[in-house]
Amino acid sequence: MLDKIMKTDLFAWIDRRTDAGAIIKSQLTEYPAPKNLNYMWNFGSLALLVLVLQILTGIFLVMYYKPSAEATFGGFTVAFDSVERIMRDVNFGWLIRYMHAVGASMFFVVVYMHIGRGMYYGSFKAPRELLWIIGVVILLIMQGAAFFGYLLPWGQMSFWGATVITNLFGAIPVLGEYIGQILVGGFAVGDPTLNRFFSLHYLFPLLLAAIVGGHIHALHVVHSNNPEGIDLHKPEETIPFHPYYTLKDAFGVAFFLLFYCYIVFFNPQMGGYFIEVDNYVPANNLQTPAHIAPVWYLTPWYTILRSFESKLLGVAAMGGSLAILFVLPFLCKSAVRSARYRPVYKIMVIMFFIDVIVLGYCGHSAPTATLKVVGQIATAYYFLFFFALPLLPKFEKTKPVPEGI
Amino acid sequence: MTDQANQSRRNFLYVAAGGLGAVAAGATVVPFIGSMLPAADTLAASKTEFDVSTVEAGQLVTIQWQGKPVFVVHRTPELLKQVDGHDDKLKDANSEAIAEVQQEWMDTPEKRKYRAIKPEYLIVVASCTHLGCIPLFKPSEGRKEWGDSVPDDWAGGWHCPCHGSYYDISARVLNGSPAPHNLHVMPYQYKSDTTVVIG
Repeated sequence: MLDKIMKTDLFAWIDRRTDAGAIIKSQLTEYPAPKNLNYMWNFGSLALLVLVLQILTGIFLVMYYKPSAEATFGGFTVAFDSVERIMRDVNFGWLIRYMHAVGASMFFVVVYMHIGRGMYYGSFKAPRELLWIIGVVILLIMQGAAFFGYLLPWGQMSFWGATVITNLFGAIPVLGEYIGQILVGGFAVGDPTLNRFFSLHYLFPLLLAAIVGGHIHALHVVHSNNPEGIDLHKPEETIPFHPYYTLKDAFGVAFFLLFYCYIVFFNPQMGGYFIEVDNYVPANNLQTPAHIAPVWYLTPWYTILRSFESKLLGVAAMGGSLAILFVLPFLCKSAVRSARYRPVYKIMVIMFFIDVIVLGYCGHSAPTATLKVVGQIATAYYFLFFFALPLLPKFEKTKPVPEGI
Repeated sequence: MTDQANQSRRNFLYVAAGGLGAVAAGATVVPFIGSMLPAADTLAASKTEFDVSTVEAGQLVTIQWQGKPVFVVHRTPELLKQVDGHDDKLKDANSEAIAEVQQEWMDTPEKRKYRAIKPEYLIVVASCTHLGCIPLFKPSEGRKEWGDSVPDDWAGGWHCPCHGSYYDISARVLNGSPAPHNLHVMPYQYKSDTTVVIG
């Protein structure tokens, strides 16, 4: 179909003015993709899909949402009531809000799979270091956007989550209090905080869209890694992205939408994991809920924070656990990329994935003495994994990699 | 010769223009960051008046000051006794670590211990100094009422539900808590025998 469109007069007219044909050729129909990509390579396009869904549903939600912590006659607040109005009175409001709330969690599901893929097959290694670093920036902006968005319904979890996270910055020496005030706009989380978080929640996806463009551009310069983790030299090792991978991605999209729609329509709160029950209680600045935990996608880092008794150390470790992702390409010195040919790394990286799940579980549960120790061990392994990487090539005997695919 | 003179002159102009541009860009940032700081009406030193006689003996009331929660506790003689005997378990028994945990009127060891102008009424900022949650009031000694949520030698005080910090009945933080400091004491004074002005 694409080639038929490209033969029309209209396309020719556009092509003379934009060079669209050359772009389509170099980026799609003649863009070389390894012929052996497995389904783990579907998550990039899925992430793009969810980003588009989030921006789209977000724009429609803003037509009804009101960012104000002012009290209403009902005894709640303007923001809380406007969200309830979207759920009850606005036509299809329930659907659009659930798509947005579920989409936020699914965005992280997809992106965490995408990151895991990159770590397992060594996609972060040369020459794709900058591609990986741009990806880490995307992850941080996503986490920021999710955090800002979570305040908007102005429920108990919104309020106390924001209180805890903005207080984190107080641990930074000298500038801490100043940064906290800039974030909150007052002495405690309140109306000014809600307004600026709303503004930033709108800004961050725009940043995301731009940086995702950079991520894709960087990918198209260095080209995709593959499950074998080897460089491809022969033309017969690659196939054009379109139609082969556009179709495979479309199949992945259909499969993804099956899950997404199930959750949106039948289980939007996902047992309190996607939307926490406490957030249906309006924000009350005089009462902290008995147990506060961030949404599941932030809980691994929350556990790292909780594993330290000193506030400053906890905050530094949490920041460090994210910052260390930036230098992963430079910590990993092995000449072999894929875990398929790195027996020790394979065990280490699978343990790392389990470790992050354990961290997430600990952060989601109420703090007990046992879980605290489990969390501390998991935190230790998280860092150990990264610090062991530079030493690994000294004793790891890698398997021979194939010549080609 | 003239060429060279022109070149260095040109370099100077580049640096000067670029430098001034950078200074101007930096100056432009000031109002934008400044706009994010608390607005004048938020800053306006708001004071809160409260009648402490409305708090029953042994009761805790949470009131608001500058949008922050504040605890007012009416400590009975029994509760006041629970302040003693565990100084070795406290991070900062005399409230000396930072300015926010002390006030000028804390001029005697007695007042540093009770952390109140009138020992029976403890008035402190209700935000845990770890990450700002409101600690739960668990005044009675031992685990009888509180179960595993408190240590077995619990002397009464507060337990923060978020990350498990403990404070004694004078809101002084216990060793082993993630919170770095005692609960803050804000400026306040008694206008009459029972009316307190906070702020």
